[in-house]
Amino acid sequence: MVDFAGFSMPVQYDSIIKEHEAVRTNAGIFDVSHMGEFLLEGKDVIEFLQYVMINDLNLLELSKGQYSCMCYENGTVIDDLVYYEEALDRFRMIVNAGNIEKDFQWLNKQIGGKDVKISNLSSKRCRVAFQGPKSDEYLQPLVDIDLSTINRFYFAHCKLNGMPIFIARTGYTGERGFEISFDNEYAEKIWGELIKAGASPAGLGARDSLRLEATYSLYGHEISDSITPVEAGLFWLVKPKEGLDYIGKNVLIKQKTEGTDRIIVGLNLMDRGVIRDGFKIVKNGNEIGYVTSGGYSPTLKKTIGLGLIKKQYKEEGTEIEIEVRNKLLKGVVVSIPFYRNV
Amino acid sequence: MVNIIEQEFPNELKYLQTHEWVRIQDNIATVGITDFAQHQLGDIVYVELPEIGSAFDKGSIVAEIESVKAVGELVMPLSGKILEVNTDLADNPESVNSSPYGIGWIVKIELSNKNEINDLLSVEAYKEIVEAEKE
Repeated sequence: MVDFAGFSMPVQYDSIIKEHEAVRTNAGIFDVSHMGEFLLEGKDVIEFLQYVMINDLNLLELSKGQYSCMCYENGTVIDDLVYYEEALDRFRMIVNAGNIEKDFQWLNKQIGGKDVKISNLSSKRCRVAFQGPKSDEYLQPLVDIDLSTINRFYFAHCKLNGMPIFIARTGYTGERGFEISFDNEYAEKIWGELIKAGASPAGLGARDSLRLEATYSLYGHEISDSITPVEAGLFWLVKPKEGLDYIGKNVLIKQKTEGTDRIIVGLNLMDRGVIRDGFKIVKNGNEIGYVTSGGYSPTLKKTIGLGLIKKQYKEEGTEIEIEVRNKLLKGVVVSIPFYRNV
Repeated sequence: MVNIIEQEFPNELKYLQTHEWVRIQDNIATVGITDFAQHQLGDIVYVELPEIGSAFDKGSIVAEIESVKAVGELVMPLSGKILEVNTDLADNPESVNSSPYGIGWIVKIELSNKNEINDLLSVEAYKEIVEAEKE
């Protein structure tokens, strides 16, 4: 167990590799109750979100969720998150555990005179991610709706063995699966039902190796308050939103049009070893960037990583070196994602 | 969380407080990491082995054991020359997890100073160290 954003959480229940493989071949469940959950209500919610989010809510609809970054004026990231349109005046938002307070304060500060009320449900509700190719098969008998009617990024409110849940077809592993939230009182029972249904518990270690293979950003690594979504390769999140202003728009549209000096790329290691975040990336004796995330990929059976490097080296096949403790190991820039099966 | 009683502490071996075990036969010592160490490290994915024939003093770091989440070091328990390294670990690094005292051995040393054996820990002394390290 380790401390993660103030919560005591398991790095692994058994073995990180076994848990990782269970999600890729069967189904795994993650206790993600540490994450934040807000409810935004009021007739101006959509207008408000259009102002604080870089993605475009015109692309959203009822019963659907949308992934976005929330940025500062300089384009760097406050948090990456998903919001779900439950009604025109009611949105549910899931945020990163380490940013709950920061996000809540930022959002409230931006309301101004708009009719928006934000409730912080983080400590009142629990969350579980149920991920893997068997997740539909295992979950269907427990719920009172037809899961095949929920397409990717859509959600529903329904009952799991009589207990009310919010269920969305979203995930952070690169596999098919769901993310579920429910009131605290049902937590133990729901966890137990999901284990009985055939899912293996999986901890933070597997959560990280899975998302790295799927090349999903991790706040504080690929995106942060010093890295913009365009630098992180998430240029598609930066929407034109003609006629609408949003925080960070000027900087981000400019970066999207003109490019950035540095960019996140995929990395493979050619020598034996493991690369980890913070390791320097070197070319011809000069430091050209650093590893933002790295580790062993159980699916590809090799070391993979992501790094922020100077744009002139971003081409696939570019040979680079990575400083691993006191040695320089050979690496190469590769295309991403490493793996997706959604 | 593995209970200390469930972990393996072979009686016939000697130990270091840095979680290496040593099996001594005449002038040769076989060295690996303990069950406690492999459990702390988690799934081991690479082992960086020293060159055969290289000489090290007791206390030097001779191998790096890379796991999914961390990297551990193998400390020389006794001074000597590397006689043999476990080349099977290149294809099967997970042997260090599944059989830390058996097929997961890491190096074999030709000892240069047998007096140093007296400085090694008995299984009882090592068990106490592990107890103290548990959160």
